[in-house]
Amino acid sequence: MPPNNQSRRLLSLGIVALVLMGTLTARMWFLQAVKAETNEQIVLSVRTRTIRLYPERGRIFDVKGRVVADNKRVLTATIDRQVIRDPEDRLLMFQRLSGPLQISVEGLFKRYEDKRFGPLEALPLKEDISEETAQFLVERSEDYPGIYIREDWKRNYPFGAIGSHVIGYMGAILEKNLAYYRSIGYDPNERVGGYGVEQSYETILRGTPGYVRYEVNAQGKLLRLEERVEPIVGNDIVLSVDMEMQQFAEQALETQLAMRRRVEAGIIKLEDGTPDPAHPEPMYYKAPAGSVVMVNQDNGQVLAMASYPRFDSRWFTAGVSTEKFAQVFPKSDDPDLSILVNRAVSGRYNLGSSFKPFVAYAALDAGQLPGGAEYKYQDLGSYKLESIPNGRCQDGVKCVFRNAICASTGSPCQYGPVNVESALAVSSDAFFYKIGEQILTERGYQPILENEVRKFGFGSPTNIDLPYEYAGTIPNKALKKRMADIGAISKESGKAYYVGDQILFSIGQGLLSATPIQVASAYGVLGNGGNVMQPHVVKAVLAPGTPDIKPGVADISFMNIPGSSQVVERFDDEAPTNTLDMTGDRRDPIVRGLQRVIRGPGVNFGSYHKTTGELLFRGYPYAELPIAGKTGTAQGLGNLPWNDSSAFGAFSLSPRSEYKYSAFAYLEKSGYGSQAAAPVVKCMYVALAGKYRFDPINAADPLNTNSSLAAQPTYLRNPSCLVSGRSESRD
Amino acid sequence: MDFSVVNRVLPRKPSSNSLGLRGSYADPIRNIDWILLSAVIAQVIIGLFTVFSATRQRLLDQNMDVFVYVQRQVFFVIIAAAVMAVVMSLGHDWLRAQSGFLYGGVLLLLIMVLGAGAVTGGARLAFDFGPFSVQPAELAKPVLLILVSSYLSESVPDKIDWHHFVMTLYIVLIPCGLILMQPDLGSASVILAGVAGVLYIGNARRRYLALIGGMFVATALGLMVAVPSLRYQGDRFVAWFLQNSNNKNLEKIVLQVRYAKRAVSTGGFFGKGYLHGPLTNGKYVPVQFTDFPFSAIGEQFGMIGGAVVLGIFGVILWRIWRTAQMARDRFSFFLASGAFTMVVWQVFQNIGMTLGVTPVSGLPLPFISYGGSHLISSAILIGLVQSIHMRRL
Repeated sequence: MPPNNQSRRLLSLGIVALVLMGTLTARMWFLQAVKAETNEQIVLSVRTRTIRLYPERGRIFDVKGRVVADNKRVLTATIDRQVIRDPEDRLLMFQRLSGPLQISVEGLFKRYEDKRFGPLEALPLKEDISEETAQFLVERSEDYPGIYIREDWKRNYPFGAIGSHVIGYMGAILEKNLAYYRSIGYDPNERVGGYGVEQSYETILRGTPGYVRYEVNAQGKLLRLEERVEPIVGNDIVLSVDMEMQQFAEQALETQLAMRRRVEAGIIKLEDGTPDPAHPEPMYYKAPAGSVVMVNQDNGQVLAMASYPRFDSRWFTAGVSTEKFAQVFPKSDDPDLSILVNRAVSGRYNLGSSFKPFVAYAALDAGQLPGGAEYKYQDLGSYKLESIPNGRCQDGVKCVFRNAICASTGSPCQYGPVNVESALAVSSDAFFYKIGEQILTERGYQPILENEVRKFGFGSPTNIDLPYEYAGTIPNKALKKRMADIGAISKESGKAYYVGDQILFSIGQGLLSATPIQVASAYGVLGNGGNVMQPHVVKAVLAPGTPDIKPGVADISFMNIPGSSQVVERFDDEAPTNTLDMTGDRRDPIVRGLQRVIRGPGVNFGSYHKTTGELLFRGYPYAELPIAGKTGTAQGLGNLPWNDSSAFGAFSLSPRSEYKYSAFAYLEKSGYGSQAAAPVVKCMYVALAGKYRFDPINAADPLNTNSSLAAQPTYLRNPSCLVSGRSESRD
Repeated sequence: MDFSVVNRVLPRKPSSNSLGLRGSYADPIRNIDWILLSAVIAQVIIGLFTVFSATRQRLLDQNMDVFVYVQRQVFFVIIAAAVMAVVMSLGHDWLRAQSGFLYGGVLLLLIMVLGAGAVTGGARLAFDFGPFSVQPAELAKPVLLILVSSYLSESVPDKIDWHHFVMTLYIVLIPCGLILMQPDLGSASVILAGVAGVLYIGNARRRYLALIGGMFVATALGLMVAVPSLRYQGDRFVAWFLQNSNNKNLEKIVLQVRYAKRAVSTGGFFGKGYLHGPLTNGKYVPVQFTDFPFSAIGEQFGMIGGAVVLGIFGVILWRIWRTAQMARDRFSFFLASGAFTMVVWQVFQNIGMTLGVTPVSGLPLPFISYGGSHLISSAILIGLVQSIHMRRL
């Protein structure tokens, strides 16, 4: 037995050993009992790789089944970021991959640093690699650890620029939408619809992603498949748009704009007859942009919706550099130049006289005119406000409002005694000035005109299934205050809603603004007898996987079978969102007046005054497709003639369902309503009546990425339908 | 107590095979500590299974025979068993007589390995003989323990005097210095743990212990700062303090420990099952089969497996401690106590680094880690303890 002292020391040594072993036990318990759950989660994420499987996006067809948005299967080589964490390994790996992938090592490093690719996702090295390259990499997985070949889909737009504003394009998720898309289960790197139907039907088209989960080792090598959940293909969509009509609309619009640019807008003369020295040179119309829409007036289905300038949707999937993209789609503060704007739903337009039919309805519906349709007003070229005392008029308040100048006399046109019908036919401003003033002043300054035109949908969005719709504005006190607050009008003017504002409102000028789709719908309400239909560019959402009849054309014959299970939802049989009273003499005088715009006659007062469309529509197949319409000229900046924008709205009077379409065209800074917009609408109806042989709808040529044009120009092969007669008045 | 008296009263036969002494209660063969032996055998068997599980996937990936390492380990075990048998039969007193000669031999080997050793990971630790390698530092552990125990047991009774302490420093510091030059901080620390244990048990003044500890720390730190190739050892300490660091220089060490900890942790209570440990199979812990075997045990067998392994170590340590307590003479007492502290230190250090309690060092886990040198070294230690137990009467 060792001595006592040493024995005591041996005992304390034993105690130390016990303490150390106890420490290990406690630590082990802490790790395995307390931290086990947490670490299990971490390890699951570390030792497995989850790779998303993206579903094939739903296809988009036109109303005849033509495939307008398709998908191409592409292979993408990705690399597990764990494998290239170490800078030396990264360099080595990139050098090794550079050859097979045919990208420079610098290019790979650039991708590695690119912030677009999330740090938690496998890094995509190259998209659209060949089957052979994929095979090569997979077979040599020992040399290329962490490489995974992902199957992706690339969106393809066979018709290029045709209908691109409606169809849209695919793009990265915008910063501001990231939180939203995350919340509904999107991956931040996913590409989503960035415009048009691609955007508004994004979640329907997308389908449901699946995933594969692999177990991997520390080197990132895939060990075994743990789980595979197949993606679910997205729903297909049938547009209400007919690509033939769409192409025609774009051709007619672009041809007309191009023609208008070659027209001289006239010279400004001073009161003594000499040319205005501020504008010595004759100015041509700029005709920078425009839009035309044709909508089924019975169910709101959009047949064609063109917006100029156009773009080719394929630019967004072409993989061009940022610089090139900025060259094709320049950023500009000039609204005339913006390409990525669908003017049919986002355009903020003054309507000019094309708004008059709705003012007429307001007067008739509100009972403002003594004798209704029979009421006559003596139009002698100007209207003097009755509600403002003479004294104040002499103090500088504008009390006299004139008609547009008649070319034959050089002074404001005088139409003599006009009623609603003839006032619309010849576009008598004075008649509408009077309505405008009296519907305000004689009704206790109630916003009756505003309330009446709101029934047609003015001032609120139509809720068409396209993004970035503009609601439009209706002049009233609140709007004026808001405009004054943002500095668009003077503080003084923003104080109240004056009679002068109402006068401008009554002829579609001033602070009134509307989008072409709103106006086309409103004309449709007149056409169908009072039903406000919500417009749609989509006819139906289909079940995934619609078969093809032949390449590029889907078999959508089941659309005609009521209750077909392949149709998930359809929009062409919806009930009206609102119904207007069109009974009695509310609608008929308006329709007659608008018919006379097309066919005449005008009025005889002093001389014969033609209606604004009489000359233009000579030769129009009226017997086949009777229509009624109204021109409008929106005065632009400085009331200069070359700033006049041209508007024309029309609806069908045909009983045949295939002809029941309303239309509206708006050509910015292109001249009078009858000069620029009306011919385009006329062409639309000529084509609708089957009197124009459409160009075939062919798959577009491959996108020329060297070009700096957003879209190749497109013109009518035969522009004879655009040929216009002369018009006498600026309306 | 004067041990010579005991020796005279109870004369001890070196051999029991003749003269009818077989069956005597003093017969060394009858005094083998079977509990200690069984515990060691149990650990070795656990070690074989652990080595297999920790190397299988790697060998599969290299298209090699999955049993390569296990076969070698079995071979080492047989050699180690033989060595242990030899040590037990020759006895610790015989080895004590040879300790000067053995010490010289170890010094020679340590010098030679610095010149002719195979370089692995920037260190010259071992002689390379094809599939096997021999680490002289492992042999230095028992040899130094015998020499120091022997020398100090000749000190004045009941305490260690200054002269013996200083001489001990000389004896220890030369081989320790050579080992640190390899560099192998871990093995040097084991020797130091053994010597410190002996000094403590020998009733050395506490200031001696503080001095030797301080010298070791100062030398180690000085070397780490002065010699660039030793920085890695320093990084291990830094990585221990900063276990969540993202520093690139520390990344390898931090990740190694992180995955070792995760492996143990995800084992939970029952473990993932043998050969079903995802991190072990995924080769997430570098040098798992030599340095981090406890992570494989923890992952596959969970808290139950870990507790069994720790428990068996507890039994082994208890038996060594008990042997020290029963030791016949001062030398045996010192020797057994030194063996005790050596084993305690190695077990604590190795499992501790696996659990993130201590910094990473290259120390193997006794009886379990893959490797011939350390198995033989441990076998000698256990053989010495058995010898003390066998010849305690």
